[in-house]
Amino acid sequence: MPVGPFGIDPVIWAPLRLIIAVLLAVGLVFNGALAQIYLERKIQAIIQDRLGPLHTGPWGLLQTFADAIKLLGKEDIRARLTDKWFFLAAPSIVFSPMLASYVVIPFAPGIVGADLNVGLLYLTTLGSMTVLGIVIAGWASNNKYSLIGGLRSAGQLISYEVPQILSLVTVVLVVGTLSMVGIAESQPGWQMNFLVLPLAFVTYFIAGLAETNRNPFDLPEAESELVAGFLTEYSGMRWAIFFLAEYGEVTVVSSIVATLWFGAWHGPFVEVFPLLGVLWFTLKTYFFVLVFMWIRATLPRLRIDQLMSLCWKVLIPLTLTNLMITAILLLAFPTTLVPVAIANWILLGVFVLALPYFQRRRLIGLRERLRTAA
Amino acid sequence: MLGLIEPALFAILSIAIIGAGAGVVLANRITTSALLMAFTFLNVAGMFILLGAETIAMFQVLIYVGAITVLILYGVMFTPQSPRPYGLFFQTQKFWAALFVVPIAIFVALVSFAFRDSAGVGPKGGDLLPLATSVFRDFAFPFEVASVLLLAAMVGAIVLVKRDED
Repeated sequence: MPVGPFGIDPVIWAPLRLIIAVLLAVGLVFNGALAQIYLERKIQAIIQDRLGPLHTGPWGLLQTFADAIKLLGKEDIRARLTDKWFFLAAPSIVFSPMLASYVVIPFAPGIVGADLNVGLLYLTTLGSMTVLGIVIAGWASNNKYSLIGGLRSAGQLISYEVPQILSLVTVVLVVGTLSMVGIAESQPGWQMNFLVLPLAFVTYFIAGLAETNRNPFDLPEAESELVAGFLTEYSGMRWAIFFLAEYGEVTVVSSIVATLWFGAWHGPFVEVFPLLGVLWFTLKTYFFVLVFMWIRATLPRLRIDQLMSLCWKVLIPLTLTNLMITAILLLAFPTTLVPVAIANWILLGVFVLALPYFQRRRLIGLRERLRTAA
Repeated sequence: MLGLIEPALFAILSIAIIGAGAGVVLANRITTSALLMAFTFLNVAGMFILLGAETIAMFQVLIYVGAITVLILYGVMFTPQSPRPYGLFFQTQKFWAALFVVPIAIFVALVSFAFRDSAGVGPKGGDLLPLATSVFRDFAFPFEVASVLLLAAMVGAIVLVKRDED
């Protein structure tokens, strides 16, 4: 009889491993969401000069637990005119791709669910599947605000997928592999991809903000104009599943950023204690989760046409140019990454400096048009 | 026991593909059809993974589930929905449907049985490099021609829907 790990028969071990992995991922998502909601409240409170949750437990730490119990205890409401099966299926269609993303995330050397050789492609694929659930949620609610929210989400996610994938391809060109473990291993010590490809990082981060429906791109659920968008008819645990999916998605995007541009588990003393990689990886990931919250507390929401023109007129040409220049420079100088890095930093500088200029020119043009109309 | 897993997965996936595919045609509501189509595409992606072509499986999901089905749903949602006592257009033409389906089914069956004695799939996984070399090196010219064709179609569509600005 063949013996697998821990002396367990492989026929039993394979499903057992699957169950353990799913339970671990669910635990990670749930606990991550609890921590992130608390962090989000505290950080927004600090930025807005408030105190945040204080009274439930020490420093308000138990506030999210209380909220979770409240959500679990709520009645499961479904309005009569909603479409039953679609309405019930939508939260799981949003949640399960996010959960499946955790398979390929490299936490530390050797600690990864599966080292797929198309790992990065797998992650983008799963990211694109959530939109289906959101569109269905919007339609099944039989509510005009929800429908508009779902349609906005579809337009937004499909548009922002393009600059997102183009930025990822730039990194793949430099690294030469799609495997998440391979990408992590290619950046030992301080040789992080961020130093080579800062522009791809910036464009990916902007597209990632849109992909996760976070501020300033949270138009599908814009409270001030759409009640709560596709979430309007949901309450209790189904609503909570959507939010768990959103926080899980934020973690996934942050860990992609940490893996692709900031060396994943690499940090001091990892060679001696490989388990320390988990700590470095978590710290890097949560740093970007904090940046997400910082942006949410800082920036106002975009209008839908601004959102689309930012994607199609700015991000896509920029990422395409970046991809082409990177490809040409990699062919011209196969041994060194210095020219790629120089070109990328210059492009980033142009991007950052040119944005206010074009914004100003647009405003002047608008004022001119208003004056001629008046 | 372990050797049985692959045939079992194949059986589950094929039943799901055929069942969901039939559901797309037979379902009386267009939204159900669209969602079942997404489900069919997902199962086809599973089939590709069984064949060791995980890159194609990923693109299958990325493009067909993530983009095309969403766009179809987008269109469907703008059409008025009402419970239909009558069948959809293609559900009322059983005779013509049978006339076309039977020869195609026989042809497909013949073709698939012709492959019974082939060598089977190669080593599992890693279709990324063969795919890349065939698309970007061996068949670069046809690929570019197809891209230009698609671009022309896209520009044409934009010109058609663009309103005259005056």
